[in-house]
Amino acid sequence: MISRASFVLLLALALSALPAAAQQGVSDTEIVIGGSNSFSGPLAFTGDQITKFGVDLYFRVVNDAGGIHGRKVRTVYYDDGYRPQDAVANTKKLVEQDRVFAIIIPQGSPPVVATLDYLEENKVPMLFPYQSSPVTRGKRWVLQGMTLSDRSSKMMIDYLAGQRKIKRFAALYQDDEYGKSFLTAFEKDLARFGLKLAAAESVKRGVTDVSAQVAKLQAAKPEVTFLVLVPGPGAQALKERQKIGWTDTIMVSTGPLTDERYLALAGDAAEGVEGLSLWPDPVTSDLPGVKLYREHMLRYHPNNEVNRYSIAGYFAAMLFTEGAKRAGRNLTRESLMTALESIKGYASGILPPITIGPDHETQKQGFWVRVEKGHFKPMTDWLKSE
Amino acid sequence: MTWAALVHVVISGLATGSIYALMAISLVIIYNATRTLNFAQGEMLMVSTFVGWTALQVLDVPLVGALLVAVVASALLGFVLERVVIRHAISATHFDVLIITLGLSLMLRSAAGVAWTHDEFPFPSFFGNRPLVVGPVRVAPVSLGIIGASLALMLALGALFRWTRLGRAMRAVAQNQRAARLMGISVERVYSSSWVIASVVGAVAGVLIAPVIFLSSKMGLVAINGFTAAVLGGFGSMPGAVLGGMLLGVLENLAPLYLPASIKHSVPFLTMITILIVRPGGVLGRVARRKV
Amino acid sequence: MRHAALATGAAVVVGWPWAAPRYFVFLASLIAINAIVAIGLNLLSGYTNQLSFGHAGFLAIGAYAAAILTIRAPALPVPAALLLAGLVTAAVGLALGVPCLRLEGLYLAMATLAFGFVVVEAILNLDWLTRGNDGLRVPAARLGPWTLATDTARYYLVVTVAALLIVAAVNITRTRTGRALLAIRESEIAAQASGINLAAYKTLAFVVSAFYTGVAGGLFALVVGFLSPDSFDVFLSVDFVAMIIVGGLGSILGSVVGAALITTLNDSLAGFQNYRPLIFGAILIASMLFMPGGIARALGTIVRPARAAAPPEPPRQGEDR
Repeated sequence: MISRASFVLLLALALSALPAAAQQGVSDTEIVIGGSNSFSGPLAFTGDQITKFGVDLYFRVVNDAGGIHGRKVRTVYYDDGYRPQDAVANTKKLVEQDRVFAIIIPQGSPPVVATLDYLEENKVPMLFPYQSSPVTRGKRWVLQGMTLSDRSSKMMIDYLAGQRKIKRFAALYQDDEYGKSFLTAFEKDLARFGLKLAAAESVKRGVTDVSAQVAKLQAAKPEVTFLVLVPGPGAQALKERQKIGWTDTIMVSTGPLTDERYLALAGDAAEGVEGLSLWPDPVTSDLPGVKLYREHMLRYHPNNEVNRYSIAGYFAAMLFTEGAKRAGRNLTRESLMTALESIKGYASGILPPITIGPDHETQKQGFWVRVEKGHFKPMTDWLKSE
Repeated sequence: MTWAALVHVVISGLATGSIYALMAISLVIIYNATRTLNFAQGEMLMVSTFVGWTALQVLDVPLVGALLVAVVASALLGFVLERVVIRHAISATHFDVLIITLGLSLMLRSAAGVAWTHDEFPFPSFFGNRPLVVGPVRVAPVSLGIIGASLALMLALGALFRWTRLGRAMRAVAQNQRAARLMGISVERVYSSSWVIASVVGAVAGVLIAPVIFLSSKMGLVAINGFTAAVLGGFGSMPGAVLGGMLLGVLENLAPLYLPASIKHSVPFLTMITILIVRPGGVLGRVARRKV
Repeated sequence: MRHAALATGAAVVVGWPWAAPRYFVFLASLIAINAIVAIGLNLLSGYTNQLSFGHAGFLAIGAYAAAILTIRAPALPVPAALLLAGLVTAAVGLALGVPCLRLEGLYLAMATLAFGFVVVEAILNLDWLTRGNDGLRVPAARLGPWTLATDTARYYLVVTVAALLIVAAVNITRTRTGRALLAIRESEIAAQASGINLAAYKTLAFVVSAFYTGVAGGLFALVVGFLSPDSFDVFLSVDFVAMIIVGGLGSILGSVVGAALITTLNDSLAGFQNYRPLIFGAILIASMLFMPGGIARALGTIVRPARAAAPPEPPRQGEDR
C-alpha cells in the first residue's frame, strides 16, 4: 500500500522535474527560492517573522509591481525546528526536489553550518543567513546577512574601551554558538587594549532563574556587563539586576539582542541599558526605507507588529532583488553572485549605503543606543568595524 | 560572594522551586489516580495562562480576574482532555497513553503558536520586583510572593486530600484501584477530578511564574523540572514532590555559584540519576517492591 | 509467499537509488538509520519492558565516536569505525544499564531522560574532542579504495548495515536469549522462577540496544555530515519512542515500519511550517486511539486474529502496592 502510493508520488515528481530549465529555479515567468527555517522550536517566532512577514512581504511588493525582469518570485520554506539534521534534509529537498535557485535567510548557526558544505559543493547561493557566528565566512557561495559577532565586538570594544575609557568588563552569555562566538571576539578585542573579561557566566536557553549568575557577575564589580542573550533571558537578567538593586554597572546588549521586544519584556528594568543597534528603530525611524517597510506591513499584514526580525527579512529580499535586477534577464547563480559582489554604495533607505565586494559581508555597521523612557535613543552615528 | 547575596540566591531558588513543586504535584495527582505520566502538563499550564492573559488584554479584567479565568479554562481543558482523549485510551497500555500525552503537548504548543504567535509577552505580577532591604540582605517581593502563594495552595490541597470525601477517594484509588472500586468508589470520577485538580494547580503555577519567565508558547518546558522534582521526592508522594521541587530550585541556583562551568548545568540531572540509583524511592519515599 | 515477499523487498531496496530521485535516496538512508535505532530500542523496551527516553544520547555517542575516528584516523575503514562506535556506545550502555537494573517503568524512563541531557552537556564541555558548540563536520568516509561521497554510496552502506542488524535481531529474538527476554516482559517474577537470570538478561538487553544505537549513530554522522549538541535533543528520543510504539512493541518488523512512518511523516510535514507539530501530534494521538498496541498488533489482528484476541495485560506497575 504505502510503497505503491510513494511510487506514484515519485513518478509524478520525476515527470514534473523532466523539462530541465537553463538555470534551476528560474523559468520564463518565475524565480523559486527557499530556505529551511525555525517554525517550531526555540526560535519559531524569529523564523516566522523573517520569512513570511519579512522576505515574503518585500517579494509581494515586487511581484505586484511586475516582478524582476518579468519574473515573479516564489518562496518555499520548510521547518527544521533548529535541528541541524532536519536543516540538512530540508535543504537537500529544496535543492533536489523543489529545485530552488537559491537559499534565503536560513536561521541559527547549527542548522546553517550543517548545510554549508552541501551548498558549496552544489554551487547553490546561501543568501544572508540569519546568524552572527563567523563560521560562515570565506565561502564562495555564501553572502553574510547579520553583522558577524567579531565585527560587532570590535565596534563595541572600540567604543567602550577606546572612546569611553572603560576598563572593567564582564559578560553574561548564552551557552551556544552565538554566545561563545561573542565571548571569543570580546576576549580578542579587549586584549588589544590590554584588558580582560573580569567575569563571564553562561546561561542555558529556557533558563528559569539567573540570580546565581548575576550575583557572581556583581561580585566581580564590572563597569560594563555585556548581555549576549536572546530576549527572554536578557530581560530576566535585567529584572534580576533590579531585584538586587545592582546599579553600578552598565548593562550592554549585543546587536542580536538590542530590540524592542526585549525592552517590552523587561519593562522599567530596562531603563539606562545600552547596546549596539544593528537596525534603525523599526517603530519610530523616519528613514525613507523604514517608513516604506511600515507602510507595506500595514497594507499586507495589518495585524503584525513591525520588528527587527521582519525588517531583516525584508532587507534580505531587497538585496536579492537588487542583485537579480543587476544580473539581468539571463539570471544564473553565477550572474547573481557576480551582480551582488558588484554592489557599491547601494542606498536601501534602511541601512547606510551598502557595499558588498569580495568579502561577501553585507552588514558591517551598528550604532550605539541607550534606553530612555522605554525607547532606544541613538548615542552615536554609525560605527565602523573595518 | 557575600552571605547576603547567598541568601537572595537561595530565596530566589526556593521561589522557582515552589513552581517546580506545584508542577510535580500536578503530575503526581494524575499519576496516583491513573498511573500515567501527563507529558502535556506544562503545555496545559501554558495554554491556560495564555487564556488568562487574553482576558486581561481583551476584557480588561484585573489580575485576579485573569487568574480566575486561567483556572476555569484550565479545569475545563483538563476535564475535556480526560473525557475525550485519555478515557478512551485508559484500557490500552501505559505506553500508548504516554504517546498520547506527548502528542497532546506537541499539539497544544503548536496551537498556541498559531493562536498567540511564538512571541514572548510580559505578564503582570501580583508582587513587586524592587527589593525589600533587610539589613544587608535584599529580598524580592516577587520571590516571597511566589513561595507564599504556592505554600498556601499546597496546604489547601493537603486539606482536600485529608478531610474531604473526594480526597479520601483519591487516596484510596492511589493505594489500590481494585479495592477502591469494590468499596463503591467511582474510579472514573476520581480520574476526572484528578485531571481537573492537577490542571487548576498548573494554572496557578502558570500565573505565578509567567511574570518571571514570561508568557510564551515554550513556557510549558518548565514541566521538565517538575518531572525531575517529582522523581527526587519519590514519584507518588505529595510531601516528596514539595521537597523535591524546593531542593531542585535551590540546587539549580547553588550549582553555578560553587561548581565549575563544565558541570553546573548537568547538576540537576546528575542528582536525579544518583538519587534514582541510590534511593529509587526518592529522598522521602520508600522503595515500592512489586510482590507476586 | 514469504520468500517472494522477501525477494521483492530486497529488490526494491537494492534498486531504489536507480528508481528514486536523489533526495529520496537520502531519505531512505535516514529511514534505515532510524530503523536500526528503533530495533535497538525495541529490544530493550519491547522485549524487557525497560522504556528509555535517552536513546538520542546513545545515538550521539555513536555519532561522535565514529566522526572523531573518521577525522583522527582517516585510514580506518568504515566498518571498523562503525563497529568501534557501536562498542563504545555499548560500553556506555553497560555502565548505565547496571545501576539502572533496580529501576523500572517510570523511574527508568526518568533516569534515561536525564542521561540524554547529561550526554548533550558532556558533548558541549568536551570541546577539545567534540568542538562543542561549533559542531563537528564529518568528512566523507573511506571504504578500501572508495570514498563514500555520494548519497547512493552512503545509502548502500547504510542498508547493508541495517540488513545485517535486522537479521541479527531476528535471530536474537528466536534463540534462547530472545525467549528469555520475552519471558521477562511478560512477567519478571515468573521468568525468574523459571531460572532466567534477570539481571544478566536485562543488562544484556541494555548493552545490545546501546550497540545498535551506537552503530546507527555512526551512520547518522556519515549521512548527515554534521553533528552538533542541538542534533540530539530530547525530542529526538521521543521520536524514537514514538517509532516503536506506533510500530509495535516487541516486533522487529514493527520497528522498521514505525521508523519508516515517523521519519516520512516528519519529513513530509516540514512544509506545513507552524502547523507541523500540530499535525504530527494529532496523527500520533489518532494512531494510538484507533490502533492501540501499534501497527504490528493491528496487522496481527488481521493476519492472526486468534493470537491478537488476547493482548498481554498492560504493564500497570504499582497497582498492588
